[in-house]
This record gives sequence, structure tokens and C-alpha cells, in this order.
Amino acid sequence: MRKKTFAAAALLAAASLTLSACGSGDDSGTPVSVVSEDPAARKAATVLDQPFEKPDLVLTDTSGEKYDLREETAGRPTLIYFGYTNCPDVCPLTMNNIAVAKKQLSKAQQDALRVVFVTTDPERDTPAALGKWLKGIDSQVVGLTGDFDTIQAGARALGISIDPPSKDKNGKIVSTHGTQVIAFSPKTDGGYLLYGEDATVDDYTKDLPSIVKGERP
Amino acid sequence: MSRPALSAAVLVGALFLAGCGADDSGPGTDGSGSRADLSVGTAYMPQPVSDSMAAGFLTVTNDGAAADELTGVTSDVGEVTVHKTVDGTMREVDTLPVPAHGKLVLQSGGDHLMFDKMKRKPKEGQEVAVELHFADSGPVTVEMPVEAATYRPSGERSGH
Repeated sequence: MRKKTFAAAALLAAASLTLSACGSGDDSGTPVSVVSEDPAARKAATVLDQPFEKPDLVLTDTSGEKYDLREETAGRPTLIYFGYTNCPDVCPLTMNNIAVAKKQLSKAQQDALRVVFVTTDPERDTPAALGKWLKGIDSQVVGLTGDFDTIQAGARALGISIDPPSKDKNGKIVSTHGTQVIAFSPKTDGGYLLYGEDATVDDYTKDLPSIVKGERP
Repeated sequence: MSRPALSAAVLVGALFLAGCGADDSGPGTDGSGSRADLSVGTAYMPQPVSDSMAAGFLTVTNDGAAADELTGVTSDVGEVTVHKTVDGTMREVDTLPVPAHGKLVLQSGGDHLMFDKMKRKPKEGQEVAVELHFADSGPVTVEMPVEAATYRPSGERSGH
């Protein structure tokens, strides 16, 4: 009886080993699969037990005006993302996901919501460059640029780590984007929800109606 | 004596799974020799925000017994470079490996093609032709459909 159990265990182990060899290989450095999840039960948002305080960011908006984040977004549902416009993949995807989801809200809710895109590459993302890019996504999005150190400190206050743009061996500029979107409640001004970069347009569409009311999705 | 038979059946199952559907499973068969056998699937480009930059995604499947490398990508729409993304930072790389009996997956949030200096802004519903160049295998041309900006291939989450 014992022997049989061992044999079965060995076979199972062998089976799982061979199964794991069928993946895309671990040399890509990117986990391809997420352990089986029930899509219906999956929640995109992480609710933070300890909400983030809104960072004290005073930057420049796309019209070249001073923008005080705390002042301008006080009492309003606010989404903040750190990225840059010379980013082909995650930055436009994240912003488009939010923009498309936002359009499903009522006009009043859309006007109340503040979507803030803070550049992590302020040298290239001038107010004009930011404005042009954001117009291609949603002209209501607030685009902010300014001193990199100020932006980095603001991001750090939200647990988002960004490095200053640097040049690679071919002289091309390498920038960093945040991997999270943080939602702030209109009731408390606290950053109470966190979205990873795999949050989809459906996730935001489902959650935004709660966020504009400061509720848990 | 039914138990050994059952074990054997399970063992065969495990071996079959190990083959990953490749046609040269198991020792003793000659198989396709030690060559890469590449095919490209699930290619798409999300409609870009501007004409200055876009991303492209695809999967290169290697059913062959030898590894290969993606060494470059060309397109008539603009310059294409291959990028790796690690912790929110994208870096241009010269090559990406296509493992034997494995896949090279370019997907959102990870490795991707970056289109630069584009002659036109690709729009949803159009196609963008790219030619993939490999270290050993011949070039592969892919018609990459332009999808909505928020498009995600179905089943990406499950990793299959």
C-alpha cells in the first residue's frame, strides 16, 4: 500500500514536471500565466487598508498653468497614473482603458472625475507634447509635467518607484512608467484603491461608478 | 494485475503531455532533426494614440528541436525595434530567444515590438505588415491586424 502511494506520487510529480516544461520557458523573465482564477470572482482593485495621502504635487498642466494636485482635486474622485508619452505599450493602454470606461459614466460623473497623468519623462513631455498626446485619448485628462525630482517624490509617496530617464547604449532614452493606477475617494481624498497594469477596460468600467461615489467596487 | 496496466497508461499520458503536441515526441523517432520550426500567431497592434509610436504583439511558436533567436523586425510602416519590459522600464534588445519546443511571447506589459517614426497612423481595422528575421530560420511575414486601443487577446489571462 505504501509502495503504491509512492509510485503514484512519483508519477504525479513526473506529470507535473513535464507539464511545467510546456510553458513558454522561464528565460523570458515574464510570467505568462496567472494561476487559474475564476474570472467572475476576480477583482481588479486592491483595496488599501491604509489609504495613501494625496501627494503634495504642484506641477504644470498642459496649458502651461500651475496645477496644485491637492487643491484642484479636493473632494473629487481622482485617478492618478505615472507614465510618459514615448511609451508604446502600457501607458497608452492604461490611459485608454480609463478613458473608454469613463465614457460609460453619466456626463456629470465624467465632469466630476479627475484623471491625472503625471509624466515620468518631463524633459520630452513638455506641456504641449503632453497635451497633444492626451487629446488623442481624452481631452479631459489632466496632464502634468515639471521637475523630475518633484514627480519622483510624489510617485514615491504613493509607493510607485520611477527612475530618471537615462540613455541606453544606442543613445536612446529609456524611461520608466508606474505600474499602478491609484484611485482617490471624493469623500476622504485618500488613495484607497490600487490597480495593476493588467486591469482591463472592463475592470474600470465595472469599478468607476463606485469610485465616483467613493465606494468600494 | 490491473494496477500495473493503469500505471502504464498514466505514464504514457505523462509522456504524451511532455511532448507538448510536437510531432517528434519520444526517443527512437527521428523527428525533424535539430532545426527550429517556427510559426507566428496572435499578432496584433493596438491602435496607437499618435503617428509617432505604436506597439506590436505576437507569439512565435517553435515546434522544432533547436532554439532560434528573433534578431530583427522590419516593416514598411516605420522603424521597428524589439523591447523588453522589466519593472516598468523598457529597454531595446538586439535579440530575443525562441526556445526549442517553446514560445517567444510578446505581450502587453512584457516584451513587445516598438514602432517608431511611422509614416502613417495605423487605424483599427487596417493591417500592418511586418517581417520577422531570425538567426537560423528564414524570415516570416506577418499581417498584423490593428485592433482597438484597449484590445486584449482573449485568453491572455489564463496564459494559454
